[in-house]
This record gives sequence, structure tokens and C-alpha cells, in this order.
Amino acid sequence: MATLNEKKTCSERMENFRRFVWNPETKLFMGRTLINWVWISLYYLAFYVVMSGLFALSIYCLMRTVNPYEPDYQDQLKSPGVTLRPDVYGDRGLQIYYNVSDNKTWEGLVTTLQTFLTAYTPAAQHLNINCTSDTYFFQDAFDGPNKTKLSCKFTSDMLQNCSGITDPTFGFPEGNPCFIIKMNRVSTSSREACSLLYKQGDEPRLLEVDYYPVNGTFNLHYFPYYGKKSQPSYSNPLVAVKFLNITRNVEHRIVCKVIGAGITFDNVHDPYEGKVEFKFKIED
Amino acid sequence: MQVVCCLFMAVGCHTGNCIHGSRSRQFEHSPDPEIKMSTFCSLSFSLSFGIQDDHRLSTSELERKYGTSISEGLSSAKAAEILVRDGPNLLTPPKATPEIVKFLKQMIGGFSILLWIGVVFSWISFGIQLAQGAESPFDNLYLGVVLALVVILTGIFAYYQEAKSTNIMASFSKMIPQQALVIRDGEKKELPADQLVVGDVVEIKGGDKIPADIRLIFAQGCKVDNSSLTGESEPQSRSCDFTHENPLETRNIAFYSTTCVEGTATGIVINTGDRTIIGRIASLTSGVGNEKTPIAIEIEHFVYLVAGVAVSIGVLFFIISVSMRYKILDSIIFLIGIIVANVPEGLLATVTVSLSLTAKRMAKKNCLVKNLEAVETLGSTSIICSDKTGTLTQNRMTVAHLWFDNQIYSADTSEDQTTQPFDQSSPSWTALSKIVTLCNRAEFRPGQENLPIMKRVVVGDASETALLKFAEVILGDVMNIRAQKKKVAEIPFNSTNKFQLSIHETDDPNDKRFLLVMKGAPERILERCSTIMINGKEEPLDSEKAEAFQTAYMELGGMGERVLGFCHLYLPENEFPDTYLFDTDSMNFPTSNLCFVGLLSMIDPPRSTVPDAVSKCRSAGIKVIMVTGDHPITAKAIAKSVGIISATSETVEDIAKRLNIPVEQVNRREATAAVVNGMELKDMSSQQLDEILCNHSEIVFARTSPQQKLIIVEGCQRQGAVVAVTGDGVNDSPALKKADIGIAMGIAGSDAAKNAADMVLLDDNFASIVTGVEEGRLIFDNLKKTIAYTLTKNIAELCPFLIYIITSIPLPIGTITILFIDLGTDIIPSVALAYEKAESDIMNRRPRNKRKDRLVNEQLAVYSYLQIGALASFVTYFTVYAEQGFLPSTLLGVRVNWENNAINDFEDSYGQEWTKYQRTYLQWTGYTAFFVSITIQQVADLIIRKTRRNSIFQQGHNTIRQYFLLNSVWNRLIQFIHSSPSARFQYWFVAVPFAILIWVYDEVRKLFIRRYPGSK
Repeated sequence: MATLNEKKTCSERMENFRRFVWNPETKLFMGRTLINWVWISLYYLAFYVVMSGLFALSIYCLMRTVNPYEPDYQDQLKSPGVTLRPDVYGDRGLQIYYNVSDNKTWEGLVTTLQTFLTAYTPAAQHLNINCTSDTYFFQDAFDGPNKTKLSCKFTSDMLQNCSGITDPTFGFPEGNPCFIIKMNRVSTSSREACSLLYKQGDEPRLLEVDYYPVNGTFNLHYFPYYGKKSQPSYSNPLVAVKFLNITRNVEHRIVCKVIGAGITFDNVHDPYEGKVEFKFKIED
Repeated sequence: MQVVCCLFMAVGCHTGNCIHGSRSRQFEHSPDPEIKMSTFCSLSFSLSFGIQDDHRLSTSELERKYGTSISEGLSSAKAAEILVRDGPNLLTPPKATPEIVKFLKQMIGGFSILLWIGVVFSWISFGIQLAQGAESPFDNLYLGVVLALVVILTGIFAYYQEAKSTNIMASFSKMIPQQALVIRDGEKKELPADQLVVGDVVEIKGGDKIPADIRLIFAQGCKVDNSSLTGESEPQSRSCDFTHENPLETRNIAFYSTTCVEGTATGIVINTGDRTIIGRIASLTSGVGNEKTPIAIEIEHFVYLVAGVAVSIGVLFFIISVSMRYKILDSIIFLIGIIVANVPEGLLATVTVSLSLTAKRMAKKNCLVKNLEAVETLGSTSIICSDKTGTLTQNRMTVAHLWFDNQIYSADTSEDQTTQPFDQSSPSWTALSKIVTLCNRAEFRPGQENLPIMKRVVVGDASETALLKFAEVILGDVMNIRAQKKKVAEIPFNSTNKFQLSIHETDDPNDKRFLLVMKGAPERILERCSTIMINGKEEPLDSEKAEAFQTAYMELGGMGERVLGFCHLYLPENEFPDTYLFDTDSMNFPTSNLCFVGLLSMIDPPRSTVPDAVSKCRSAGIKVIMVTGDHPITAKAIAKSVGIISATSETVEDIAKRLNIPVEQVNRREATAAVVNGMELKDMSSQQLDEILCNHSEIVFARTSPQQKLIIVEGCQRQGAVVAVTGDGVNDSPALKKADIGIAMGIAGSDAAKNAADMVLLDDNFASIVTGVEEGRLIFDNLKKTIAYTLTKNIAELCPFLIYIITSIPLPIGTITILFIDLGTDIIPSVALAYEKAESDIMNRRPRNKRKDRLVNEQLAVYSYLQIGALASFVTYFTVYAEQGFLPSTLLGVRVNWENNAINDFEDSYGQEWTKYQRTYLQWTGYTAFFVSITIQQVADLIIRKTRRNSIFQQGHNTIRQYFLLNSVWNRLIQFIHSSPSARFQYWFVAVPFAILIWVYDEVRKLFIRRYPGSK
């Protein structure tokens, strides 16, 4: 062991390493002969080509077996998520604070709403049809162009006072701001009409609000959703909420629940499943 | 440098002129390392010093020096005073490393370092992420905590294991407290030996252990067994005469821890405790450095390798991620993540558990391992330097051959003989057996009738014991026979006469003659004989018969056996009537013209298991070297009979004899065997020793001193060998310590030897070493499998992270999940691999070359890292995501948005929108699926790693069953922890074809390896 444990000097180590890289006596390059390296590289090249081929084949098989219209499973989408516009996130979720007298604080919010609603102009919705029935819009056949299914029109004017047409500032400067509630698309889900419940503090209390469309319901003819491939021009129905008589300079904790069959909002982990929670404060 | 220096010093010691007290003192306290190195070699200098004068002083001078009185002893008061000054008469146990240090050592060696680095990095990463306000920084915190826990728990486990063997050791050393008969205040007192002080007058008798270094002032027939100190196997006689300048050689000093074999003596204590000779040798042992065990070196090498790979990949991906415009801080977190992911978390625990399981198994086979890592060292051993006495042999004289009626008979020498097979019909044998029985002073201790004869305790010296047992086996109740033939006179053996004689009545009432029986050195016995008994008839001893005697005597002597001659004479009834008074002083009876009856030769026979064990060592490529203090002829004979020197090989001397040429003319390379005498050894340079060790495959060192044993060990180590040394005496302890693995004898071994050793043979049996070698090799092979298994999985765990960085897909598997694999599902199979049975060639291949056959070589690493990727896991991953709505094309590059908390309507391939939590939930399902498919692949991995060359069809597969069982349990647990819905059952099967593919691929690879061995 005496010899093995001899402390090697740095130069010896370098020399050893150099010898490892190229050993002139045995003609070994990094411990193998050159021809050996060529073989081993070829081997691994072939190996990886085969492996990649296998991988590609597997993915190809996978793509062949998945349903192109609807996902095979919706294990995680038992209940749709709900989102809010304008969406400003603070440290702990949605926080919408603004100062009535300082238009810089709300201009961004207004712009967000306006941008959001551009997808709901009549021009953007021209591919969709007008629906009048208040029942589910089931379609078994592909009646639309290019083997698609039809989608119902939802235009921003349905939001009336919160459409941004009559009031481009959505009531922000007046302290009666509009918020838009959107329910996430979830394939093949039948949804019922919804109403919204508000809550402040720990005691649930309905706030004084206006809903657009009236009653704050998503009309049933927007459901079910058949997936992007079937309904490429589908757009989510919206509900706008206009707050009236909001106490200023107080932070309101507001929950907006969507109530309907198959929609749950009691998942403690997810603040946006079947409901949307946000904090809201208007300052003078 | 060290070695050469040491050798020269040793030579110096032996050439004499070395009693220089002042010089040795200088050595002892010199801070100069060069001089310190030679401390051991100057043993006899320094040892001489303390007792230099005492052996020359007269009794009265001694009394004055120590303020004592031979008749009165010390006064109790004075003794107490000295006791306070000098401390108790005990050897300080070798400076035990404090328990806490031992414990900490377990925490920071080898693998643990790697894990600690992992811990630090994870916490750094946690700190950065926390400061950044990232969403789930706690994963890294937990990772760090778990890693730290793993190290600490494994450390505790290993510590506990070693403590357990230490305890077993301790139970050995707990002997009955030694008592000493001391004269104090003019009275004889029994005192515990540790209460002795310098100046005490002690009395010793046969059977006592010498309680301290004592200068004898009175002795009668006193003999001491110095073997534990000097290795001399013959008892040395002791008297009160000053016979030699060197206190180690003079007869009037008896040393602590040696045994008084016979006689009585009184002496003055001149040294106690650590100041005794034995105490000094014991303390020298701590000066011999502890070498790193081979497995420790291997693990270090492995750590370097893993660290190298980890850092290389880490840096590579750091550069990639920076050039992909990740934030620097993110890139650093990736870098740390990659490094941590490379740490094989479970391996430390696996290795420790495997080693201790093997240690346990070895303990069952009588090998007690003190140091877990030593388990493997034995497996890589290439040279065993074995003691002869007690290890290779039974450590008791046994009758091996008889010569009567002009013919040599062999006797059975096995350990459990109950009969003797040789022809006992001749009347000569009857006569011989009478002499053997009667002319013998040895007796069985009473009350052992139920014990086998060979196990009974006998009072008497070794040869007489051998004869007594031999007679007892053949004739039955010897004591009764002796009682019937009443002894009327006796002359015990003494060195001037070299014979022993006794006169007995016969048991035949009609025969009133006396029988005179005599035994002794054969040539002396023959001188006294005029006739010889052939087939029961007395015939004149002519030159032809004397020639036959000589031949037989030479033949038996040449076998290294101790030969005794036996003769008898029936005294004529008319001259010696039954009232005749025999006087042993004037010898008023004939002691010549006797009738020679026969020869008996005795030897300490090899243990019956040893020849087999030696041949096993041989086929395992291990060189067995015998190192003994015994006579070369005896050593050679035993070496031949156990196969250390094989039947066909010759020494230089043998060749010279065969060719009838002088020894100098023999080509030394032709001789495969060598018997080296200690005398020759001390004149050799280290080059010459190297030459001997290189050129001869079968070596016996005879008449060696303890110091030379150390030189031999060093010489072997210079050849690059891993050396195992067996030993029992205190004098062996430096060599035991110096050896790569020191093996002490559990029964005969001294405490000092056991302390210095790494392993203790509980049954003192050489064959146990072979078992140990096998286990050691097995654990090395199996650790190799375990590591290959672990590394393979490591890459499967690292890949997702790398792909995550490069392609920005959602993270396929989380840190915690990886921990579940490494510390959960994979622990049992890894340990199970350590339980794998040996592949058949394990004891037929050469010991591994410690420079070439590494635990983890580059090939294994390359193979593990490159060949079996995470292919199947990725397919499973993509399947899960696709079936839930995210097709592979959608996934690429989504990382930033995917992980954004502010996006709660993230769109998938089907236009569905996902909240953050829903995505995270999906990601966890992905983890589960990835986890499942890794574990499925690990089954295949386990199958292919079970054997290195053989096909799986040639081995069993119970480990796999356990794996499945465990897997499903853990899988449930992981789902519970993540509260994720179980990954759909079909995801279990995605990986199955791949697992089968891996297995088939590897079977083909092994087929090629079997077909074309040796190619890379």
C-alpha cells in the first residue's frame, strides 16, 4: 500500500493524465485505440438512432391512439375553473386595487377589459350563429363548415353597461367598476345556468351588484363544448358584474361562485375551481 | 523510504551492539519523524533501557533500589504510596478514539461527503428560491433535510454495527481478574494483579500468568512460555542467574503476560503496567499507521467519478441554460439541481447495510469483523501471511509416526481421533505401549471422563501429553493401568541425561520381575541398548539393525517431527527381589544393555480443514506465506502437509540435493518454493526480500522474530499486494496493524493482537479465513451490481430534469418523488442484490488487482449512464399528458406559462382551459406515472444486474418478487402523499414493453460477452 498511496505531485498527475489521453506506446487514446473508438462511437450512434426511432415510434403510436376531438380523460377537469378580468395578481391571488382620483391606477384595468373584449366584437364572432333557445345545444353531426360543429355567438354588447360600448371606462372612475367573469372551457361538459354569490369577510353577504346579462347566467346554449377541433370559433360566454355602492378605502374579499350541475367550488386547494376569489379595494 | 530505513535499522538491532539507553531515550522522545519511524526497529534498544540494570544487580542491591525486603515485602503503606505514584499495574487500553469521534467519522467518510454536499447545495438552492419568492422552494429544503437524515441515520446504523462487534470483542477480554501471590508486611497475600507495584515480592508457580515484569530472586525448575512476546514456541527456563547482557535474553527476568509453565519462582516486581516490555510493544502498535481499506479507496474513486459526472453535466447545462437566455439565478438553480440529482441518495444506506449484513453472516462463520469496510478487504487479499502454530496447526503435540519391527507406522493425527488404525498385533507394540504408558508423568485432570480424550486437560508437558492421549486412545484407561503396575522408582527427564526412566512392578502376580522403562532422545537411548526387539523377540543390535534405526530416525526427523526412543529391561528376579530398594541418586540398577523397542515421533499436526483451505486459496490466486518462529524443518514439513509448499515443488536446497551440486550453483528461478530462515532474512536487503517474494510462489519464513514479520508484511505490500496477516501474540500486533487486514485469533489471541486486528477468528481456524475471502469477494461483486443498478436509475432520474431545462416541458418528475424511489422502492432491491449468491467462479479467479479492477470503472459508468435511458418513462409521461389533453407538441416550450400562477385559463390541445392548480395536479399525476414506469424499468434493471455474465435463466429470481410487492406499497404511499388520483392502472403497462426490451437487449449483450470474453 505504501506505493499506492504515494502522494503524486501535480506534474505526475498531469503526466498521468496526458498518458491517459494519448499513450504513445500502446497507441491508446483515452484508454482505447482509435479504431476501437470509431467502433464504439458507431455502436452508440446506432444505439441512439435505434432508441430515437423507438421513441418516435412510441409517440407516433400514442398520437394514433388519442382521440383528436376530445381528450380521453378529464381526471383533473372535474369542475371548470373560473377567471376574472381584469386580472391583476398579487402575492396571494387576485388583487384589484385602484384609486378613483388617480386615473393611472385604473387605466391599465380598463385597457385589459377592452383588449379582452376585442374577441367578442361582432366581427370576431361572425362565424358563430345566433342562438335563441335556452336549452343545451347538443350537436351530433358536424353541421358547420369543414366538418366542424356550430358555436353560438356571444358578443360584447350582451354585457350592456359593462360592454365598454356605452361606457368605455367601465365605470371605474365613478367607483362602480365592471368585472368580467369567465368560466373555463371544459370539453363535453353540460352546464346549468349560473348565478353569482358574493361574500365579504367571514359572513357571506350578497353585495349590491348589477349582472349582465341579466340574472348573471351563462345561457345553456353555449354548452356543451365539443373541443377546439370541432368548434374552432367557440368563445366562452361571459358574465359582467357591476359593483354599486362599494364602501371605499376598505379591502373587500370577494368570492364569485358559479352554481350549477357538475360544478363544485369546495376544493380547498384550488381558489379558482368553480369560483373565483379576489380582493378588491377602491380608494379616493 | 520508510521501509528501507526500517529494514536497515532492524538489521542493526540484530547485529548486536545495541544496548544504549541514552540513545533509545532519544528515540522515544524524538520529534524527528525519521527517527520516530525507526522506533519499532530499535525496539530492543528502547526496551532494554528501563530494566537495564536490574538483571545485573544482586539481591541486596535490588532490595535497596526498590526499598523492599525479600522476606518481608513492601509495607502496605509504601505499596499504596507507589500505587498512587505509578498507577495500577494495567496496560492502558490503546488510546480509544472517543466515541463521538468514531461517530462523526461515520458521518463524514466516503459517500457521506457526497450527500453532505448535496445537502448544502439544496439549502443554498432553497435560499435562493425563497429570496426570489418562487412558488415551491420547500422541495429543496425537504430534500436537504432528507439527505441529512439519511447520512445521520446511516451513520448511526454503521456506528451501532461497529459498536456491537466491539462489544463482542470486549466480552472476550473480560477474563477472570488475575490474582497474584504477594508478600507484603511479611505476610503472603492474594492480591488482584493490578494492585502490584514496583518492589513487590511475588511468588509464581506453574500455570500462573506472570503478573508484571519481575526479576527472579529464587527459582526452582521454572519455565516460562514467552511465545506471546517473542514468538519462541519452546518454554524457556528461568533461574536467578544473570546469563546475558541483554535483559530480553537473560534468564533472571520474567515478563509480564507470559506464562509460567512449570516450577516455582519468587521475584521482585521491577516494572508495572505500561512500563513493562509488553506494555511498550503494545504502545508501539499505535505508531503504525492505519491504512485505508481497499473498499474505502474504491468508494472514494466512485465519489470522484460521480462528482465528476455531476459537475460536468451541471456546468454543461448551466452554459446551455444561460445561452438559452434563462436568468442567471435560474441557471444556478438548475446547476445545483443537476448536481444534487446526481447524488445517489440510497447508495450510502445500501452499502452500509450490505456490508453489515455480510459482517453478520461472517460472524456466524466465526469471523468477527471489527471494521465494516474490512469485510471487503479480505476479498481482495492476494497474500496471506499466516502463523503456523494454532492457525494452521492444532497447537498440540500429537503422535504422528511409530517405528517398531523395522517398520514405520503412521498414526491418525486428526482432531477427533477415537481409534488408531495401524497394525497393533505385533508383540513389539505391546511392549512399546507399556513403555509409553508407564514412562510418563503426565496425568489427566480428574473429572473429565465424559469428555472426548482429545479435549481433556492434561497436567504435563506437550510430548508427555501427546503420549498419554495416544495411549489412552489405544489402550483405554491409562491411569488404571499405571495403578496396577506400581511405580517403584523414577528419574524425571533432565537435560544432562536426556532420558526419563521409571521402574515398575508388573501386574502379573506370577512374574515378580521389575520392569525398567526408559524413553528419551533416540541416539542416547540407542547407546544404552544392546538388543532390539523385533516381532516381540529380543535380537542383538548389530550394525545392520543400527543402520535401520538411523534411517528411520532420519526419516522421521526429516519430517520435522520430534522423535523419542523407547527401551525397556526386565530386571532379573534374583538380583532385584521385590523388596529391593531402588535409589535414583546412586542408580543402583542397570541403565545400559537395555532392549530397544521402538521410536515414536510427534508433531503439532495441521488442522484437518487447513489443506483444503490452502488449496482453495491457491485456486483463488491467493499466495499463502507461512511465517513462524519455529524450526525450518518443522515449518517446511507442516507447509508441505497443508499444501503451502506443494508436493512437486522444490526449494533451492532440494534441487541442490537432487542434482548433487552446491546450493550456489542452482538457478534460483527454478525453485518455486523457498524456506527462508530468520537468520538469512536479517542479512537481506529489501531488494533481496522483494526478489524472494517475487520469484517464489511458495514461501515459508521460519525462525522469524516479530520485527521480521513486520518487514515481511511491508515487503509484500511493496509488491502491490493486499496482505492479510494472522497473529495471536502481542508481538504480532504491529504487523497486524500494518497489514491491510489484520486477523487475530479469538481463542489464543492476546488482547493487544485483537485490538490491532480488523477481524477476529473466533475459532482460530485458518479455514475460516477462506470463508471470509469468499464473502469479501462476493460483497465486492454484489456492490458492483448494486452500484450499476443505482447508476442506471440515476440517469433515468436526471434525464427529466435535463429535458425540462432544454425543451421547457412541465417537469416530468419531482425531487420528492425521486427521493421516494432512491430511499423507498430501490433500497430493498439494492440490498437484495447484495444478497445475491456467488457466481460459480468466485473462488477460481485471481484476486482483483486493486489498481485495475475498480468497483466502478469507466466502462460500467459509461454503460450505466448511456445505455439505458429514461425512454419508457418519457413515453409514459407523454401518454399521460396526451390522454389528459396536452399533446406532446403543445407541451414543448410551455414551461414559463405552465408555472405561472397568474394564468388560470391555460389552454390545452383541445381548447380546454386549466387553472394553475389543475395543471399542477396533472403534473403530479405525471410524477406518479413517471415514477411507476421507472420502477417498472427497475425490475428489468434488477433482472439484468443480478448477473454480470450469466443469463438470468441460470439464476433465481426471488428478489424480483419482493420488488413488486414493495413497489405497489410505495406507490400507494406516494399517491397518498401527493393526494393525487392514482395514476390510471394502464399507465403501469406503458413501460412494460420497454422493460422487456431492456432485458432482451442485455441478455444479448451478455451472450456476446460469454461468446467473446475479453473484448471491450
